[in-house]
Amino acid sequence: MPPVLPDFSNSVKLKYVKLGYQYLVNHILYLLMIPVMVGILIEALRLGPDEILSLWRSLHFDLVQILCSSFLIIFIATVYFMSKPRTIYLVDYACYKPPVTCRVPFSTFMEHSRLILKDKPKSVEFQMRILERSGLGEETCLPPAIHYIPPKPTMEAARGEAELVIFSVMDSLFKKTGLKPKDIDILIVNCSLFSPTPSLSAMVINKYKLRSNIKSFNLSGMGCSAGLISIDLARDLLQVHPNSNAVVVSTEIITPNYYQGNERAMLLPNCLFRMGGAAILLSNRRSQRWLAKYRLVHVVRTHKGADDKAYRCVFEEEDREGKVGINLSKDLMAIAGEALKSNITTIGPLVLPASEQLLFLLTLIGRKIFNPKWKPYIPDFKQAFEHFCIHAGGRAVIDELQKNLQLSAEHVEASRMTLHRFGNTSSSSLWYEIGYIEAKGRMRRGDRVWQIAFGSGFKCNSAVWKCNRTIKKPTDSPWADCIDRYPVHIPEVVKL
Amino acid sequence: MLPNKNRPFPLSLSYASIHCCLLLSEHPVQVLFFTLLVKKMVTKKSMVSVHSMLTAVSSKPVGSGETHPLSVLDHAMGLHTLHVVFYYKKNPFGIFDVDPLRISLSEVLCLYPQVTGRLTRGESGKWSVKCNDAGVRVLRAKVEVSMDEWLRSADGSEEKDLTFWEEIPEEPRTWSPFRIQVNEFEGGGVAFGLSCTHMNADPTSITMLFKSWIENHRQEPIEHPPLFDSATLHHQHAPNTGTKSDIYYATKPNAEIPSVKMVTATFRFSDSAIKKWLGEVRDQCAKATPFELLASLFWTRVAHLKAPKNDRKHSLSICLDFRRIVQPPISLGYFGNALHFSLLTLNEEEMDDVGKLGHVVELVHRHISDVGEGEVWSAVDWLESQKEEGGKYAPPFRMYGPELTCVSMEHMIIGHGSLMFPASFKSGEKPVHVACHVGNVRGEGLIVVLPSAEEGLARTVMVTLPEEEMPELCEDQAIQCLQPTMVISGR
Repeated sequence: MPPVLPDFSNSVKLKYVKLGYQYLVNHILYLLMIPVMVGILIEALRLGPDEILSLWRSLHFDLVQILCSSFLIIFIATVYFMSKPRTIYLVDYACYKPPVTCRVPFSTFMEHSRLILKDKPKSVEFQMRILERSGLGEETCLPPAIHYIPPKPTMEAARGEAELVIFSVMDSLFKKTGLKPKDIDILIVNCSLFSPTPSLSAMVINKYKLRSNIKSFNLSGMGCSAGLISIDLARDLLQVHPNSNAVVVSTEIITPNYYQGNERAMLLPNCLFRMGGAAILLSNRRSQRWLAKYRLVHVVRTHKGADDKAYRCVFEEEDREGKVGINLSKDLMAIAGEALKSNITTIGPLVLPASEQLLFLLTLIGRKIFNPKWKPYIPDFKQAFEHFCIHAGGRAVIDELQKNLQLSAEHVEASRMTLHRFGNTSSSSLWYEIGYIEAKGRMRRGDRVWQIAFGSGFKCNSAVWKCNRTIKKPTDSPWADCIDRYPVHIPEVVKL
Repeated sequence: MLPNKNRPFPLSLSYASIHCCLLLSEHPVQVLFFTLLVKKMVTKKSMVSVHSMLTAVSSKPVGSGETHPLSVLDHAMGLHTLHVVFYYKKNPFGIFDVDPLRISLSEVLCLYPQVTGRLTRGESGKWSVKCNDAGVRVLRAKVEVSMDEWLRSADGSEEKDLTFWEEIPEEPRTWSPFRIQVNEFEGGGVAFGLSCTHMNADPTSITMLFKSWIENHRQEPIEHPPLFDSATLHHQHAPNTGTKSDIYYATKPNAEIPSVKMVTATFRFSDSAIKKWLGEVRDQCAKATPFELLASLFWTRVAHLKAPKNDRKHSLSICLDFRRIVQPPISLGYFGNALHFSLLTLNEEEMDDVGKLGHVVELVHRHISDVGEGEVWSAVDWLESQKEEGGKYAPPFRMYGPELTCVSMEHMIIGHGSLMFPASFKSGEKPVHVACHVGNVRGEGLIVVLPSAEEGLARTVMVTLPEEEMPELCEDQAIQCLQPTMVISGR
């Protein structure tokens, strides 16, 4: 609430005032329409049936007028339905569960680090401190090539990892949805750091013998938010092509990008990035109306690349010894906060209920006209969404967003637990988080989900989904064997 | 990081030295000899090349990170290392990184948290294993020749390349005590070389680990699940001092052993040959086992080769596994050292004649039968009594040596077959050969009597002796009477 009324901020009465205000503003139309309707009904009853009939005859309708009016109505209705954007349904999705041989316990990670960086104890210490505070658990996975001492990041190993992850997740998707490979009309694969020739989408087409007139796209270099960019692209394509299926594959191939040097800022991704992938089936077919899990409501993309600091904050470059790694700058969190503000400003009007928007407008007017020192009103997004999926980029990202959006621990539970169990799987982490919520049985019909992802550039993308049908606890998700252990308490610092 | 398996002499250095010798020497014949010797060293390159090293972890996190202290017997074996090699004709691995064998290894490692842990030294100098879930090192190697060629022509020192040999470093925090080396031969064929410090396991334990891996992969129930309870070695007997074991063990710390190069040869004896010879000694020793026969045979022949001693006595140290000797018997799954060493001494006259073999067999048989629970526990008690002030264990001494030591694996033979020959992962075939090496053996030598691929009474004997004595032993007529086949003996 604006600081004009500070004394009431802890009062219980304020809660009821707030609730009353929200009901009033959100349902203003109903509240206005009901008295009007009641008035008309009373008037109609008072007049009696004969009076109403005579009123009707006095209007002198003739055939031409009736025909023109009905044509007009039909015309307007047709234009409305034709220009309405197609509804995009998310039929189902599958997440990758790595084999147990790829597991990386903390002690193994530190041991490899000590053996490989034996001349640089400070770098080893740094990695240990990062790992202790990372929020990761003991079951995250790295690809097989990284388990070697020293790691073997050959192109063959990278392709091997890509095949392992992508084919496994596609097979899982086919099994879940009953989709035939020949029915895929649009294929979008996004993998930021590994971009071979032929592309990964060509690899998928080759393996599953997809149709020759398929529309395939391969997005690379777009960072951790590329998953939502692919969804946006799929949505646009599905507007143009009627009656189509689109498969989006989001993954990050770690093998070729494991940093082999000892520059501290570049060792950070090694501690956080882990193996993972997801495949999503989107459709605009009306037959999927009752079968689909979610409906896509909005996708909002914000790009802060015009600002130089934002552009350079996640930068892939060579270190002093010529080894390539990703440099994360120190003001990453500040820039992420800025990008988030931009994104919220755009998405707010689309999703927030009228009560919140009115308050925000009033505060904005107040700040501009009366007193610029008023604190900006942060809309309560908990009113707009039931579930939040914040990209599990790291503990700091989740903490920052929890603070900025004033979310409770339960709202960010999906993100924290995904970070603990799977690590930062880049663009696919949002799907593991939705999988967590489903596995906990919390997804009900009509629930709205907000997915937020940050990416290099610097980008902040969001997607809003509405749950189409209450989802039973799935038996074939990667959470199936461990969901009962969650949520776990993640200590601030794990002693290594 | 990878062990350097090549033993080349730097080429330029060797030729420079030859030139120097030619110039300085007055004896060209000696120089020529030296040149030839150097050339032989230059061209001698190992047939085994290790190309990768990785870490295999358990499929579930270990959890509590407990520290498991090693027993007093484990500490006593501290100077030695253990290496066991299983040869299979067919390589079960497909694509190594994603093979289901790797998954079954990870699952079985969940049962062995000590194997994936790391050694730590406490304040009192006591070793323990911290179960920190760090994993087991797996090495991959390629062998240039086919397995048949290897069994025919490689020698004992080359067989050592099939496993990993390294002493415990000063700081064992990042050092994996267990190593599994997968050696792939030309044209198919694979040898699994398992190695560990003798502190962590004895030959039975390490074989059971491998067997559990196979059983898990073949989805059979694990026959001997691991048991880590160190309380297993505590017993209710009253301490018994002054027994033969005490006296024997007390001689070990003070033994001075010169360091001599040792070589290993492997003799295979068939079921029929053993049966025939057991029949020959039946009237002197009715219940002789193949181990007793072979131990006596090799002891007498090796004693024959050695230089005569002052006291004209010969000693044999017999190493037995006491899991089945004590009451109640300890499960074969007990993971740790359960070995008992006992000394048998005979006069030279008793052993000299070939005809006296039956007599020696009888004496060995009686000695082994006499090794009972009392002896075993008194040895353990003696080791316990050697603790210094503050509970610190005494430094380890050489348990295998200085006398000729003979190790029995008869307890691994159950019925007609043996536990040392577990059926392969996918094809179900038995190993072609199993070898067992012990590191840091000094003194007169080591004889290990193992089961053989041929079932029944057939045995494989691995003999480690000083280099100059080995050729004579291989030619020995008494041994040749049993028609052994020589494998991995470089001929």
